[in-house]
Amino acid sequence: MALVQLSGIKKSYQLGKTEVVALKGVDLTIDKGEFTVVMGPSGSGKTTLLNIIGCLDRASAGSYKLDGEEIGHRDFNDLAEVRNRKIGFIFQNFNLIPVLDVVENIEFPCVIRGEDRKALRARTLKIAAEVGLTPYLKQKPDELSGGQRQRVAIARALVTEPQLVLADEPTANLDSTTADQIIDLMLKLNREHGVTFLFSTHDPRVMEHARRVVRIHDGVMEDGTDAAAHEAGRMHAALGH
Amino acid sequence: MFSLLQIAVRNVLRNKRRTAITLAALLIGVSVMVSIRGLLNGLQRSLVQNVVQGQTGALQIHRVGFLKNVLSSPLSLDMPQDAAFEAKLLAVKHVRAISPRILFAGMVNVADQTIFLGVQAVDPIREFKVVPLRAKTMEDKELFETGKVVDAMVVTEQLQTALKGSNVPKDAPAAILAPDKDGALSGENVTLTGVMKLNMPGEKKVGMLRLDVAQRLLKMEGRATEYIVAVDDIDNIAQVAADLKAALGPDYEVSMWDEIATFIKQAMTRQNFILSLVATVFLILMLLGVANTMLMSVLDRTREIGTMMAVGVRRSKILGLFLMEAATIGALGGVIGGGVGALIVLVLHARGISITFPGSNVPFTIQPYVTPTYLASIVAIAGLGALVFAAYPAWRASRLRPVEALAGG
Repeated sequence: MALVQLSGIKKSYQLGKTEVVALKGVDLTIDKGEFTVVMGPSGSGKTTLLNIIGCLDRASAGSYKLDGEEIGHRDFNDLAEVRNRKIGFIFQNFNLIPVLDVVENIEFPCVIRGEDRKALRARTLKIAAEVGLTPYLKQKPDELSGGQRQRVAIARALVTEPQLVLADEPTANLDSTTADQIIDLMLKLNREHGVTFLFSTHDPRVMEHARRVVRIHDGVMEDGTDAAAHEAGRMHAALGH
Repeated sequence: MFSLLQIAVRNVLRNKRRTAITLAALLIGVSVMVSIRGLLNGLQRSLVQNVVQGQTGALQIHRVGFLKNVLSSPLSLDMPQDAAFEAKLLAVKHVRAISPRILFAGMVNVADQTIFLGVQAVDPIREFKVVPLRAKTMEDKELFETGKVVDAMVVTEQLQTALKGSNVPKDAPAAILAPDKDGALSGENVTLTGVMKLNMPGEKKVGMLRLDVAQRLLKMEGRATEYIVAVDDIDNIAQVAADLKAALGPDYEVSMWDEIATFIKQAMTRQNFILSLVATVFLILMLLGVANTMLMSVLDRTREIGTMMAVGVRRSKILGLFLMEAATIGALGGVIGGGVGALIVLVLHARGISITFPGSNVPFTIQPYVTPTYLASIVAIAGLGALVFAAYPAWRASRLRPVEALAGG
């Protein structure tokens, strides 16, 4: 069943006096439970695409349905609500709140929506255990390693029980061993919880595990179900890149 | 578990150096404001005491129209000076003491010199009960007070200086000349027994006579032109004035000290205005520091703001977060600055500051003080002012687009 349905999505920016067209009419459908990678060179529009899917930005034209609901034209507060309820984010730079400890960082999205604290704490501890953070619950982000920080970000993305988790280059700032662990963790969560993951990445190891790779080039989607790219990812991994 | 307020407080403590510098600015500003207010309070209280206990009394009673025509010595606008009239005054609640006076203009003649002067004729013992500070400014007041020299006259230093041209010896015989109540020129011999210092600016050539001498001179036995009144609490004077007015009826007017010594009231109003001006400048400078800190904080934390927005924090909460941070800094700076200022004022109060006004040669001690209400208001102003001055940075933070904020602005 389709979770994300984009049709004819266009996005243009005003950069000084010139208009930059980042997306030139993208059609993309992502089903629930998918583990999908968006790949493309720098400036291809993949971050713009992820921003629109993540409701962080709005398309200039086209239709965006999330879970069957048209959300492309909602206002800021509505979109904040959609992000809070339905979408989890994992960022390249982890983006944790420095003044909050691990538990507080994980709970943050639920606290701001006024969730019952007792039930939330139980769920937080369960997720923290699942991502291997139990020994670090009272640590602040600057006391954690990069891998640990990304685990906190993953736990924060999952605690709201979102339908979709967007990960923008989640392994870019991690060493290869840690990156592998993080990928395995996300695969496991995808498998066990059925959470839909959408990545933007250059990392061949991520592509290797992706069940689907979509390519974007100059703001145009090249193929919706790209077995060739999938294969390329495998080859890359095999060659040790 | 945590709240937005806790996050705000943690953020304030996060960049310790920056917060410390902002707090230092607030501390200096607020403590200087409190100290200046304290000094001015002390000064103004002394001014009021000096004028009330050294010259005017808390209240004065005249016949209607007397004060308007005081320069022409309207002796016809007089009042009884007898036990029945005084009993009426003393029956009013909170009246502590009263003293009759006659004010008139005349001439003093010593040797071959004649000089115009203003004369205050008083009953010394009762006068010094109502305006006790006046006694302190007088040389040889015993001669005057005890009536050993019945026709004693005490003059101001200015009058003495003017008379010195004629080499006045101590206890010199002199004559005082003035038109009496009926307009006929009348004279009395007097003896210059002493000199009184001015305790307020304004007076020039003035002499002080015993009331009975003046009554004889002016043919006003059993009469006076004014009564001065001491009250047991200066804060009650409006009520006492109203009660006296009610007791005396429509022929009399009752004036409060600040209606007589209007220049004091004007000086205090001017001082307060200047202080408000200085305080406002201080406040704005301090709060610009807060605004700058908040602006830097917003710029430093752009990505963090983006993260908060990404996970669903609404614009209003981002705004609230930064406002809370500013208010925390403002209130903290206000409390610490208020505390330090209050301490400075307390120390100065205990030590006292000796000061002499220009135009006066009587030094007096001022004891600075501030009221708890003023301290509370200054803390509130620092907190609220910080809120106002942080409004722009906070608004800017809340208007960031999530995508741009996540990219670091």
